[in-house]
Amino acid sequence: MPVIDAEARILPGAAPPDEVLPSDTRLEAVLPRLAAARVIAITFSQFRDGRGFSLARALRQHGYRGDLRATGHFLPDQFQALKGCGFTSFEPPPEHAPAQFAAALAAPHQPGQLLRRTVTRAREAG
Amino acid sequence: MQFWTITGNRLSDGVSVWYAGERGWSAQLDEAALFDEPGSRAALAALPADTELEVVEINAVAVTRQADGMIIPVAHREQIRARGPSVRTDLPAGPWRDAAAPLPPLPSSRSCSPFAGIYRYDEYDREFLRQRAREFATQVERRRRGELSEEEFKPLRLLNGVYLQLHAYMLRIAIPYGVLSSTQLRQLAYVARHFDRGYGHFTTRQNIQFNWLRLEDVPAALAALAEADMHGIQTSGNCIRNITTDEFAGAAADETVDPRLYAEILRQWSTDHPEFTYLPRKFKIAIIGAGHDRAAMRAHDIGLEAHRGAAGEPVFRVFAGGGLGRTPHLAIQLRDDLPEAELLRYCEAILRVYNALGRRDNLYKARIKILIREMKPEAFIRMVEDEYAALPPDYARLTPEIVAAVAARFPAPEFPRQDGGVLKAAMLDDRVLAAWVRQNTHPHKAPGYVSAVISLKPVGGIPGDASAGEMETIADLADAYSHGEIRVSHVQNLVLPHVPKDEVPALFQALTKAGLATDNIGLVTDIIACPGMDYCTLATARSIPVAQGIAERLAPRQHEIGTLHVNISGCINACGHHHVGHIGLLGVDRNGEEVYQITLGGAADERAAIGRIIGPAVPAAQVPEAMEALIGAYLAIRAPGERFIDTYRRLGAEPFKEAVYASH
Repeated sequence: MPVIDAEARILPGAAPPDEVLPSDTRLEAVLPRLAAARVIAITFSQFRDGRGFSLARALRQHGYRGDLRATGHFLPDQFQALKGCGFTSFEPPPEHAPAQFAAALAAPHQPGQLLRRTVTRAREAG
Repeated sequence: MQFWTITGNRLSDGVSVWYAGERGWSAQLDEAALFDEPGSRAALAALPADTELEVVEINAVAVTRQADGMIIPVAHREQIRARGPSVRTDLPAGPWRDAAAPLPPLPSSRSCSPFAGIYRYDEYDREFLRQRAREFATQVERRRRGELSEEEFKPLRLLNGVYLQLHAYMLRIAIPYGVLSSTQLRQLAYVARHFDRGYGHFTTRQNIQFNWLRLEDVPAALAALAEADMHGIQTSGNCIRNITTDEFAGAAADETVDPRLYAEILRQWSTDHPEFTYLPRKFKIAIIGAGHDRAAMRAHDIGLEAHRGAAGEPVFRVFAGGGLGRTPHLAIQLRDDLPEAELLRYCEAILRVYNALGRRDNLYKARIKILIREMKPEAFIRMVEDEYAALPPDYARLTPEIVAAVAARFPAPEFPRQDGGVLKAAMLDDRVLAAWVRQNTHPHKAPGYVSAVISLKPVGGIPGDASAGEMETIADLADAYSHGEIRVSHVQNLVLPHVPKDEVPALFQALTKAGLATDNIGLVTDIIACPGMDYCTLATARSIPVAQGIAERLAPRQHEIGTLHVNISGCINACGHHHVGHIGLLGVDRNGEEVYQITLGGAADERAAIGRIIGPAVPAAQVPEAMEALIGAYLAIRAPGERFIDTYRRLGAEPFKEAVYASH
C-alpha cells in the first residue's frame, strides 16, 4: 500500500518501519530503542482504538524525533487528530484511498484544540 | 398466530420500517412480509448487499397476527417502535416536516442578547461551527454514497450528537455548563418548531435533545444553531462530553469561586482534543465552586471542586472515577489543592492513563471507575502522578495569559438593583406567590437579587420537556427580568439566574399566565427521569409514565412531605441517576413486564451516597402505591423538620421495607 505524508502526498519509496508497535504497547518497553529508530509505525487495530493517539504523543514527549507512521485501520476524518498527536506519515487502509485523505484536507479546517486557537488569536490581537 | 417480520430504521430519517417483499420497505407494519422463523433468517440473509444504503439496524422481530388481520409485535419495545411514544399520543400522525417549505429568518438575526453572561464567540469561533456543520453534511453525503460504512459513520455522527433512537434520529445539542442566552433558547425553539415536532427535552447533563430529527436535515439544523454559537460537538461518543456545573454558578450566595470560567477553559481544552476523542468510553467532567454540590460532582469521571488557597487564589480538589450505570461508584479524591496552572496538565495525566489502560474488551467495564477499582485506587493515583510528573514542563500549562484570554470573553454582569421591599410586601398579601418564592428561588450573591427556578415538572407532564412556545416565553422573560440569561439545571429545570427581588412578583404573574409557575423545586414531584422506552433504544422500561403516576398521586401532599429527590431510570445505564436519588427507581423487564427496583438513601450533593435496593421489584402500576407507603412511613416517624433522607440515615431501611412489603 502507498504511504502518504501529512499533506496526503504519496511518498514513493518510503522506508519500511524499524519498529511496528501495536496500540497496546507500553511506553517503557520501547523507550530504550527510541534513539536508534528512524521510522516507527503504530498500528490501529480499528479506528475506534484511541490508544495509538496517546502512544504517539507519549513517544514525541519522550524525545522521539523520527518519522511516526499510522498503519492499520483509521479514517480520513481522523487525519487532523493523527497529525496533532505527532504522526508524520500514514499508510491508508485499503477501504480509504489516499484521495479520500486529500479530500479531508481540502475543506477549510481549523486544526488543533479550540483552547489553543483562542489563545493564539488573543495573542495576535493583543 | 406467531410470525416474524424484518424491521429496521430508514437511513434518511430514522423512521421504523418493515420489509414488504417486492414492494421494498414500508413505514406501515401492516404491509410487512410475514415469515416463519427459518424463513426470516433466510430473508435476512437474502437482503441485497446495498440495503445498508437505505435501511440500518435490521433485525427479525416476532409478531402475532390477530383474527382481524392486524399485526402486533410480541415485545413491548417493538410495539412502541411501531406505534410511537406512549406518552405523546397527541402528536399528529404522518410526516411532520415539509422539506420544501421556506424557513423564516433565524432569531439570531434580530438579537444577540448582549447582556447575557455567556462566553462570547467571535467570527472565528462561529466560522469553526459553520465548518463543522458543513463537515457533517459531507459525512452524511459520503455515507449515502457508501464511501463510509454504517460502522464507520456511526461514531462520526455520534461525535456530532446524532443518535438513532426507536422512532427517529435524536439530536443532542450541547449547552456548555448549562448556560444559555435568550437568543440561544429562541434558536433552540426554532429548531424544535421547524425541524422537529415542536418540543425538546432538557437532560441531566444540562443539554437539550430533539427526538425527531431527520438525518438529512441535521446539517441544516446544525447550521442554524451555529449562527447562535451552538452545536452538538462531543455530546455523544467515547470522548470528553459537555462539562457540567452548578446551575447557580456566578450567582449563588454560597459560592467561593465562579466555576464557569474553568468550565469554559475545560470545554475549549477538550473540544477537538486530538488525543482524547477515541477513548475506551464516554468521559464526563463536572466542576463546582461552592461547598454545597448542586452538580452531582462525585458521580463524574473527573470531578473538580474549586476553592480558595491560602493566598485567596483558586485551587482545585480533584476527584476521579465516579459514575453511575450498572456499577455505581463515587469518585475518589486525588488532590486537595491543585494550583490553577496545573489544572489541565493533571487532567491530561488522568486521561492518558485511562486512554492507555481502560478496558476496550467489554463495553460495560470500559469506564474509568472500573479501571480504578480493578487496579486499586492507590496504584491508579500513583500511576497518574507518575504520568503527570513525566509531562514536559510547559505542556498544557494553564497560564494566566490563557485564563485572562478566556475571562475577557465573558461580559461582567452588573447588579445595581437594591431590595426595595416590593417582594416582601407582595408575599404578605399573596400566599401563592409566597409559596412559589420559598420553593423556587435561591439566594443571590447580590442582596437585591434572587435566582428563580422555572419548573419543567408540571404534575402529569414529561420531566424536562419544553415546547417551542414555552422556550420562547422563557426567553422573553429572561430578557425582561434576568439579563437575557437562562440556565439549565442537571435536575432538568430552567433557571433565571439574576432576577431583581422587586421584579419577582411581576415575573411570577407572567409565569403563572404561561402555566410555568409550578412550585415544586426539590419536592417529590420534581422528578429526574430519563426518556425511557418511549424513545430510547437502550431502555427496558418506560420511565415517563411512572414519573407521571407518582406526581399525580403525591402532588397534593408534596409541601407537607418536603425535600425529597426521586430519580427514575428506564434501564441499568442509569441516565435518570437513580443510584443517587433519595428514592431511586430502576425500571427492568421481567418476562415482558415492566417492574421497578426501589433504592433508598442515595444522594448527589456533598454527602453523596449510592442508594441501596430495599427488596423485590414492584410492577410499574404499583409504584405510586409503594411510594405512598414509603412516604407514609416517613411522615409517621420523622423528627420535626427532618428531611426524608435524614430520617433514612437515622433509622436505616427497615421501617421503609416494612411499609412497602408488609402488605404484599
